[in-house]
Amino acid sequence: MHNRIRELRARYNLTQEELARQVGVRRETIVFLEKGRYNPSLKLAYDISRALHSNIEEVFIFGESRP
Amino acid sequence: MKKIVPLIIVSVLVLVTGFYWIMQSDRGLPLAEMVQGIIIVLLVLFGFYIAFSRLKSVRRGEPAEDEMSKKILQRAAAVSYYVSLYIWVGIIFLLDRVEMETEVLLGSGILGMGIVWVLLVLFFRWKGLRDA
Repeated sequence: MHNRIRELRARYNLTQEELARQVGVRRETIVFLEKGRYNPSLKLAYDISRALHSNIEEVFIFGESRP
Repeated sequence: MKKIVPLIIVSVLVLVTGFYWIMQSDRGLPLAEMVQGIIIVLLVLFGFYIAFSRLKSVRRGEPAEDEMSKKILQRAAAVSYYVSLYIWVGIIFLLDRVEMETEVLLGSGILGMGIVWVLLVLFFRWKGLRDA
Protein backbone atom coordinates (compact mmCIF):
# COMPACT_ATOMS: atom_id res chain seq x y z
CA MET A 1 0.00 0.00 0.00
CA HIS A 2 1.25 3.49 -0.75
CA ASN A 3 -0.34 6.85 -0.08
CA ARG A 4 -0.61 10.42 -1.39
CA ILE A 5 -0.53 12.17 2.00
CA ARG A 6 2.50 14.33 1.19
CA GLU A 7 1.01 15.40 -2.17
CA LEU A 8 -2.44 16.24 -0.76
CA ARG A 9 -0.94 17.91 2.30
CA ALA A 10 1.02 20.21 0.01
CA ARG A 11 -2.10 20.88 -2.04
CA TYR A 12 -4.02 22.05 1.03
CA ASN A 13 -0.98 23.87 2.42
CA LEU A 14 -0.83 21.83 5.63
CA THR A 15 2.33 21.14 7.58
CA GLN A 16 2.97 17.71 9.09
CA GLU A 17 2.43 19.24 12.51
CA GLU A 18 -0.93 20.74 11.57
CA LEU A 19 -2.14 17.50 10.02
CA ALA A 20 -0.96 15.57 13.08
CA ARG A 21 -2.90 17.91 15.40
CA GLN A 22 -6.03 17.68 13.23
CA VAL A 23 -6.13 13.89 13.28
CA GLY A 24 -4.88 13.52 16.88
CA VAL A 25 -1.56 11.78 16.33
CA ARG A 26 2.08 12.72 16.84
CA ARG A 27 4.03 14.38 14.01
CA GLU A 28 6.33 11.36 13.94
CA THR A 29 3.38 9.19 12.85
CA ILE A 30 2.69 11.46 9.86
CA VAL A 31 6.40 11.25 8.91
CA PHE A 32 6.28 7.43 9.06
CA LEU A 33 3.03 7.35 7.05
CA GLU A 34 4.46 9.57 4.31
CA LYS A 35 7.56 7.39 4.07
CA GLY A 36 5.36 4.28 3.83
CA ARG A 37 6.86 2.85 7.02
CA TYR A 38 3.55 2.52 8.81
CA ASN A 39 0.09 1.38 7.73
CA PRO A 40 -2.60 3.26 9.68
CA SER A 41 -5.71 1.84 11.31
CA LEU A 42 -8.97 2.27 9.41
CA LYS A 43 -10.00 5.09 11.77
CA LEU A 44 -6.75 7.01 11.29
CA ALA A 45 -6.91 6.48 7.51
CA TYR A 46 -10.47 7.85 7.56
CA ASP A 47 -9.49 10.86 9.71
CA ILE A 48 -6.51 11.68 7.49
CA SER A 49 -8.63 11.39 4.34
CA ARG A 50 -11.21 13.75 5.85
CA ALA A 51 -8.52 16.25 6.87
CA LEU A 52 -7.24 16.15 3.28
CA HIS A 53 -10.77 16.59 1.84
CA SER A 54 -10.55 13.26 0.02
CA ASN A 55 -11.87 9.70 0.08
CA ILE A 56 -9.79 6.91 1.60
CA GLU A 57 -9.32 5.42 -1.89
CA GLU A 58 -7.84 8.68 -3.12
CA VAL A 59 -5.34 8.91 -0.28
CA PHE A 60 -4.41 5.27 0.29
CA ILE A 61 -3.80 3.11 -2.74
CA PHE A 62 -4.12 -0.57 -1.91
CA GLY A 63 -2.53 -3.49 -3.68
CA GLU A 64 -0.09 -1.49 -5.75
CA SER A 65 3.61 -1.13 -5.33
CA ARG A 66 5.16 2.26 -4.59
CA PRO A 67 5.45 4.31 -7.83
CA MET B 1 0.59 14.28 31.74
CA LYS B 2 -0.62 11.06 33.41
CA LYS B 3 1.44 9.12 30.85
CA ILE B 4 4.59 11.15 31.54
CA VAL B 5 4.74 11.70 35.31
CA PRO B 6 4.71 7.98 36.34
CA LEU B 7 7.49 7.29 33.84
CA ILE B 8 9.66 10.03 35.37
CA ILE B 9 8.83 8.93 38.95
CA VAL B 10 9.77 5.28 38.20
CA SER B 11 12.99 6.37 36.46
CA VAL B 12 14.00 8.58 39.40
CA LEU B 13 13.14 5.80 41.89
CA VAL B 14 15.32 3.33 39.98
CA LEU B 15 18.18 5.84 39.98
CA VAL B 16 17.81 6.54 43.72
CA THR B 17 17.64 2.80 44.52
CA GLY B 18 20.69 2.13 42.35
CA PHE B 19 22.60 4.94 44.05
CA TYR B 20 21.58 3.59 47.50
CA TRP B 21 22.68 0.07 46.45
CA ILE B 22 26.12 1.39 45.42
CA MET B 23 26.52 3.43 48.62
CA GLN B 24 25.59 0.44 50.82
CA SER B 25 28.17 -1.83 49.21
CA ASP B 26 31.09 -1.97 51.65
CA ARG B 27 33.24 -4.26 49.52
CA GLY B 28 33.21 -2.01 46.45
CA LEU B 29 31.52 -2.94 43.22
CA PRO B 30 32.74 -6.08 41.44
CA LEU B 31 32.98 -5.88 37.65
CA ALA B 32 29.74 -7.80 36.98
CA GLU B 33 27.75 -5.52 39.29
CA MET B 34 29.39 -2.45 37.80
CA VAL B 35 28.30 -3.58 34.31
CA GLN B 36 24.79 -4.15 35.66
CA GLY B 37 24.84 -0.65 37.16
CA ILE B 38 25.81 0.87 33.81
CA ILE B 39 23.00 -1.06 32.07
CA ILE B 40 20.50 0.19 34.68
CA VAL B 41 21.61 3.77 34.03
CA LEU B 42 21.19 3.24 30.25
CA LEU B 43 17.68 1.81 30.77
CA VAL B 44 16.75 4.77 32.97
CA LEU B 45 18.11 7.19 30.37
CA PHE B 46 15.89 5.48 27.80
CA GLY B 47 12.93 5.99 30.17
CA PHE B 48 13.78 9.71 30.37
CA TYR B 49 14.11 9.86 26.58
CA ILE B 50 10.58 8.43 26.14
CA ALA B 51 9.20 10.77 28.83
CA PHE B 52 10.74 13.87 27.23
CA SER B 53 9.68 12.88 23.70
CA ARG B 54 6.11 12.57 25.06
CA LEU B 55 6.44 15.93 26.81
CA LYS B 56 7.61 17.50 23.53
CA SER B 57 4.53 16.14 21.74
CA VAL B 58 2.21 17.47 24.45
CA ARG B 59 3.82 20.93 24.21
CA ARG B 60 3.17 20.90 20.43
CA GLY B 61 -0.51 20.16 21.13
CA GLU B 62 -0.24 16.51 20.07
CA PRO B 63 -1.13 13.47 22.19
CA ALA B 64 1.60 12.00 24.41
CA GLU B 65 0.91 8.61 22.86
CA ASP B 66 -0.83 7.67 19.63
CA GLU B 67 -1.68 4.45 17.81
CA MET B 68 1.74 4.07 16.21
CA SER B 69 3.77 4.66 19.37
CA LYS B 70 1.49 2.25 21.28
CA LYS B 71 1.88 -0.40 18.56
CA ILE B 72 5.66 0.00 18.60
CA LEU B 73 5.78 -0.53 22.38
CA GLN B 74 3.40 -3.50 22.14
CA ARG B 75 5.29 -5.14 19.26
CA ALA B 76 8.60 -4.63 21.08
CA ALA B 77 7.11 -6.18 24.24
CA ALA B 78 5.73 -9.18 22.32
CA VAL B 79 8.99 -9.91 20.49
CA SER B 80 11.14 -9.32 23.58
CA TYR B 81 8.99 -11.88 25.42
CA TYR B 82 10.02 -14.56 22.91
CA VAL B 83 13.66 -13.47 23.04
CA SER B 84 13.63 -13.46 26.85
CA LEU B 85 12.63 -17.14 26.86
CA TYR B 86 15.89 -17.90 25.06
CA ILE B 87 17.81 -15.63 27.45
CA TRP B 88 16.52 -17.61 30.42
CA VAL B 89 17.26 -20.94 28.70
CA GLY B 90 20.80 -19.62 28.14
CA ILE B 91 21.09 -18.61 31.80
CA ILE B 92 19.89 -22.04 32.95
CA PHE B 93 22.52 -23.54 30.64
CA LEU B 94 25.21 -21.30 32.18
CA LEU B 95 24.09 -21.94 35.75
CA ASP B 96 26.12 -25.15 36.18
CA ARG B 97 28.98 -24.17 33.90
CA VAL B 98 29.96 -20.66 34.99
CA GLU B 99 30.94 -19.72 38.49
CA MET B 100 28.78 -16.70 39.20
CA GLU B 101 26.56 -15.68 42.06
CA THR B 102 22.92 -16.57 41.54
CA GLU B 103 21.95 -12.93 42.15
CA VAL B 104 24.23 -11.80 39.35
CA LEU B 105 22.81 -14.40 36.96
CA LEU B 106 19.23 -13.44 37.83
CA GLY B 107 20.08 -9.74 37.51
CA SER B 108 21.69 -10.42 34.14
CA GLY B 109 18.52 -12.17 32.94
CA ILE B 110 16.26 -9.32 34.04
CA LEU B 111 18.55 -6.65 32.59
CA GLY B 112 18.91 -8.72 29.40
CA MET B 113 15.13 -8.61 29.00
CA GLY B 114 15.21 -4.83 29.47
CA ILE B 115 17.99 -4.33 26.94
CA VAL B 116 16.25 -6.50 24.35
CA TRP B 117 13.04 -4.48 24.78
CA VAL B 118 14.88 -1.16 24.42
CA LEU B 119 16.75 -2.37 21.32
CA LEU B 120 13.51 -3.61 19.76
CA VAL B 121 11.75 -0.28 20.45
CA LEU B 122 14.64 1.55 18.77
CA PHE B 123 14.60 -0.94 15.88
CA PHE B 124 10.85 -0.51 15.24
CA ARG B 125 11.14 3.29 15.58
CA TRP B 126 13.80 3.18 12.87
CA LYS B 127 12.29 0.51 10.62
CA GLY B 128 8.61 1.32 11.15
CA LEU B 129 5.66 -1.09 11.24
CA ARG B 130 4.62 -1.75 7.67
CA ASP B 131 2.70 -4.89 8.54
CA ALA B 132 0.87 -3.44 11.56
